[in-house]
Amino acid sequence: MIGQAIADGVLTGAIIALGALGVSLCLQILRFANFAQAELLTFGAYAALTFTGFATAGVSIGPLSFGWQLLVAVALAGIATGAVAVAVDRLVFAHLRRRQAHDLTMVFASFGLALILRNLVLLLWGPDAHYYSQELQIAIEVLPGVRLMPDQVFVLGLALVLVLTLHVFLRFSRLGRAMRAMAESPALARICGIGTEAMVRWAWVASGALAAAAGVFAGLTVQIRPEMGANLLLPILTAAILGGTGSLFGAVVGGLVVGLAENLSALVIPTSYISTVPFILLLLVLWVRPQGLFAPAGGR
Amino acid sequence: MKRMIWTSLGTLLALSCWGAAPAIAQTASCPIKIGAILPLTGSMGPVGKHIAESAQLAIDTINQGGGIKGCQVQFILRDDQGQPTVGVDAAKYLVEVERVAALSGSVSSGVTLPILTAVAVPSGVPLVSCCSTAATFTTMAAEGRTNGFFFRTLPTLKTQAYATAKVTAERGYKRIAIIYLNTDFGTGMVKDFTKATEKLGGKVVKAVAYNENQPSYRAEVNAAMAEKPDALFLVAFPQDGATMTREWISLGGTQNLVLNNALRSLDYIKLVGAKYLQSAFGMDNASVAGPTVDAFKVAFQKAYNTSPDGPGIYNQYDAIMAIGLAIALAPDLSGKSIRDAMRKFQTEGGTIVGTGPDAFREAIALIKAGKPIRYVGATGPLTFDANGDVSGPALIWTVKGEALAIDRQISLDDMAALFKSID
Repeated sequence: MIGQAIADGVLTGAIIALGALGVSLCLQILRFANFAQAELLTFGAYAALTFTGFATAGVSIGPLSFGWQLLVAVALAGIATGAVAVAVDRLVFAHLRRRQAHDLTMVFASFGLALILRNLVLLLWGPDAHYYSQELQIAIEVLPGVRLMPDQVFVLGLALVLVLTLHVFLRFSRLGRAMRAMAESPALARICGIGTEAMVRWAWVASGALAAAAGVFAGLTVQIRPEMGANLLLPILTAAILGGTGSLFGAVVGGLVVGLAENLSALVIPTSYISTVPFILLLLVLWVRPQGLFAPAGGR
Repeated sequence: MKRMIWTSLGTLLALSCWGAAPAIAQTASCPIKIGAILPLTGSMGPVGKHIAESAQLAIDTINQGGGIKGCQVQFILRDDQGQPTVGVDAAKYLVEVERVAALSGSVSSGVTLPILTAVAVPSGVPLVSCCSTAATFTTMAAEGRTNGFFFRTLPTLKTQAYATAKVTAERGYKRIAIIYLNTDFGTGMVKDFTKATEKLGGKVVKAVAYNENQPSYRAEVNAAMAEKPDALFLVAFPQDGATMTREWISLGGTQNLVLNNALRSLDYIKLVGAKYLQSAFGMDNASVAGPTVDAFKVAFQKAYNTSPDGPGIYNQYDAIMAIGLAIALAPDLSGKSIRDAMRKFQTEGGTIVGTGPDAFREAIALIKAGKPIRYVGATGPLTFDANGDVSGPALIWTVKGEALAIDRQISLDDMAALFKSID
């Protein structure tokens, strides 16, 4: 029982971590909490659904419930969602930045944007629930009392690869280093000849792509529906804040902590209270260590 | 416009005062007044209008059948707009100004409840609802907080819970886990189902509540599965229900699924995959058939040139007829006497009385002769239990191939026997 809860916690945590990474990136480069991140996740999941619709289900690979088409769809959905994120920045946030809008204005704008995006998804794809594959996967007992579905293991692996790729990209690539410089100090970065707007654009592309991946993974292991992102918003924000605002490593750890806390709490508290667990975690963090677990000492 | 309404209302009031005075002089209490509070406008308006027509048809039936106690019946209808405050005001007016003998209404449980607690119970006037399903009313009646003044003419949650428990037991499932929606509806269902199951020799090994709109339900599913039950009873709505069913089956849970009536939808079956639901069954309320039901259908069609097949229409007719028969059976017009007479037209083996003016005339004659009667109305045989609830026939549905199928019906008599063996 506890083994199963840990396994499920890590799997849910991986998806939350991907979403939290996007929020964290946005916090570092754009310096505001993006409430619309969760809706980008929904958009990504539906975009992938459309792409798989074109390519038909395809022959599934080994024990997985989907074929190579879904992998292509993830990539395409990542690009599409990144493009939407950039377009949204052009239409909304760029204007606000130019007018030196207050951070809170940006937060509220993202909130409004979230509503628009959610209803756009409703308009385009309708209110019904979907799955990438109607086939049901039967879980395999990997350890006594611990059952995993092949899809879940795959999702966990791919999430790990994505996080590592992002890490390597930010650490070693020229663009990644420029982004980090921009996060450290926008003024100094500008002096060094780093184009602010370009960095902002890349930050949106990256967080959009991460959101799409999280969306597809959530859709693959749970269900695709218009509220899926909104339902994940609280865990994602909690994970981002728990990890420390602007710490990418922290966002991953935060995601895992939230996922594990939700699943393990089911062992001790009535299940009807599980949805309050991220909220309690959020309160605890803000109370005990408001800068988050992995934030640089002293904060900004 | 507003002024016009007020003027006409004032005129109406003056007229009714003027008309009422000589009536009192003639006999003690003619005409007998029956009040109703129904949502005629607002979001419930389209439904409420037809329900009100059905109430009017019942009043016409009574009057054409010769009235009650030698009096014609006057029907006073008020709109609650689907709002509790408006409903309570209307009920107060009906009881305190019009001095109605009994009340009928309303549709929404949220409106009926304050009318019951703020007006009907304190003034001791019986309230018969056509449509409020909340389990709260049963609880309140059981705790004695309604003083027995509340009745309703549609089957409550208990019918669903008991019928489900019966078939679950028949299939030989002994250890049952439940995953249920964390609302009044869900908790009520679990309570009744558990009670019935334990009486029928089974055991609920785990009841797991879930809240809607969560990103994942794996924790809930695992909690229910930990007990390794023979069957899973799922009380959910289609989309979340499909997520949980898929996770349940994926994680190796039993395919002996017991489903609630909201899952009787092709959406749910498509989302889960029909092949995993072949050994599942569910329960739903069934519609009744019979000559008295058909007679009502014809009469309604003739009176309003539209079909009575909509929510609450059959039930409202019986609500008014129950009030009419109870008044006829009561020794006087006090609320208490009417309340106590409410179960006197459901005598087993009594002469069967149906719908329509002729049947009502016959009922009055039988009552005068002191003979027992059994009212079989637009919803079939009407039997109020101790809490003022009625039971109804149930149907058991299954999934055959890709489609929904009706496995069998549980008749009203079987339901009554079941209720007796459990309560």
